[in-house]
Amino acid sequence: MFLYNLLAFELIKNTMKISHIICCFLLLVSCKKTEQQLTKITAKNIAIDSIIVPSTKINQLIAPYKEQLTSDMQEKLTFTPVKLTKQNISMQSTLGNLLADLSIEMANPIFKEKTKTTIDFSMFNNGGIRATIPAGNISKEHAFKLMPFDNEFVVVTLSGDKIEELVSYLIKNKAAHPLSKNIALTIKKDKTYTLKINGKNFSKDKTYTVLTTDYLQGGGDKMNFFKEPLKLTILDYKMRDAIIDYFKKVDSLQTDIDNRVTIK
Amino acid sequence: MKRRDFIKSTSAVSTLALVGGLTIPSFTTKKQRHITILHTNDTHSHIEPFKANDNRFPNRGGVARRATLISKIRQENKNTLLLDAGDIFQGTPYFNYFGGELEFKLMSTLQYDVATIGNHDFDNSIDGLYKQLPNAKFDFVSANYDFKNTVLDTHIKPYKVIVKDGIKIGVFGLGIELEGLVGKKMYKETGYLDPIEITQEITQKLKNEEECDLIICLSHLGYYYKNNPNKISDLNLAKVTKDIDLIIGGHTHTFLPKPTIVKNNEGKNLLVNQVGAYGVNLGRIDFYFDENNHKTAKGTTILV
Repeated sequence: MFLYNLLAFELIKNTMKISHIICCFLLLVSCKKTEQQLTKITAKNIAIDSIIVPSTKINQLIAPYKEQLTSDMQEKLTFTPVKLTKQNISMQSTLGNLLADLSIEMANPIFKEKTKTTIDFSMFNNGGIRATIPAGNISKEHAFKLMPFDNEFVVVTLSGDKIEELVSYLIKNKAAHPLSKNIALTIKKDKTYTLKINGKNFSKDKTYTVLTTDYLQGGGDKMNFFKEPLKLTILDYKMRDAIIDYFKKVDSLQTDIDNRVTIK
Repeated sequence: MKRRDFIKSTSAVSTLALVGGLTIPSFTTKKQRHITILHTNDTHSHIEPFKANDNRFPNRGGVARRATLISKIRQENKNTLLLDAGDIFQGTPYFNYFGGELEFKLMSTLQYDVATIGNHDFDNSIDGLYKQLPNAKFDFVSANYDFKNTVLDTHIKPYKVIVKDGIKIGVFGLGIELEGLVGKKMYKETGYLDPIEITQEITQKLKNEEECDLIICLSHLGYYYKNNPNKISDLNLAKVTKDIDLIIGGHTHTFLPKPTIVKNNEGKNLLVNQVGAYGVNLGRIDFYFDENNHKTAKGTTILV
């Protein structure tokens, strides 16, 4: 290459015509590919909105999937005679009670198979309930709206200390966090409380198994008492799937406000 | 020294030659080339547009509209690449029902060129992702996921080089650390390699061995973590590496009104972009090249 350079350099001194030809040759052999220089960059982020006409071809591709999904999603699974909501009544809600109870009912057989024991109670967060259920027929669509997240069931084995933390959280929080009917918590005016779990008085020396979701176990909604359990059992069962399975199982939904939490 | 002077001489000669009527088009005509990069991230199975009464994105998004917009831009410039930065899966019942089949089929119809893998793309486990690959007529790149002990081995390449109008474009992928974010039973034996080290290795290769004119990183690392500023993110990656021209990000669902200009470790500007989530926006970056036979140190104008 250097030789070519020298050669060409020499030739420049001579006739223009010859040097030009040599130079062209030089350029051709010296560059495997033309070097490109980036001179300008422009950028913008474009909103996709209703001004843009949708592609018919794409909509046709979507159509059969949409049809299948819609018909399956709207198939009647069960029925509720009354509207179910997350409205806080004495730190309970109709929808919360239903979800907490159906969860433990659906999860217990799996837990039993894994551990030969049963779950003591379930607890979730009020914020995790994402919709209400109107009176009437209930479809899979309701389950998806209720629980759009793919949260999975986990069972934590907690010490008595952690259960006390859990109750303090509930009392401080005052929200209608779903608790299963295994709990009977009475909160007195002076913030002291009595707690029964499955009809038996709570004992600080015992350990308890609590059904919740992987999201809450990981510290979601600041439920830190779930974070480092004595034991963690993963059930490999999505909460939404449990809801759908339960809806398929029962003819109608029966739930109410009861004495799982009593405020005196 | 000699060489530089010589190049100057040839340039002078060429001008003279032109005056003299000795025109050789390939030598004297400077062609400007134009590459358009379009991109999405975190589309999360959002096939249909949001409803008019949606709280956050009323009437926004929708794959059928995205298709119209993309084909219009392709008509303007056929040298267009369409890229995605991951989390294609999960977010609507379409995914729960069809496992990502429709997402991949639509992206293939839209003629996506390259995508990277987001954490949610493991939501039906690595086997669920593998199962859907035949529906994807585009390539996946990931440089820092080590798939050698998984079903994805040989199916995912660290990078891809695409030539458009003579411009060599290298696209490589980076994924977020899966441990603690995705269940181990989902990602199985997928190994995680340090994004910075891999980037240094890959960009060196793309620049020097593959001789790319443009290097794009498709990243699912996340834009930036305010509460964890030292965590690897697109902004941090941009600062500590070199030779990347554009980082297309995802994961943090960051709605950037325009790309961020960052200086790399050589003080050279690069762009970091992310268009939020759910296909409500499309990112567009246009690169203009001049043929550069004489290495003049002309700068790059960035208009964002």
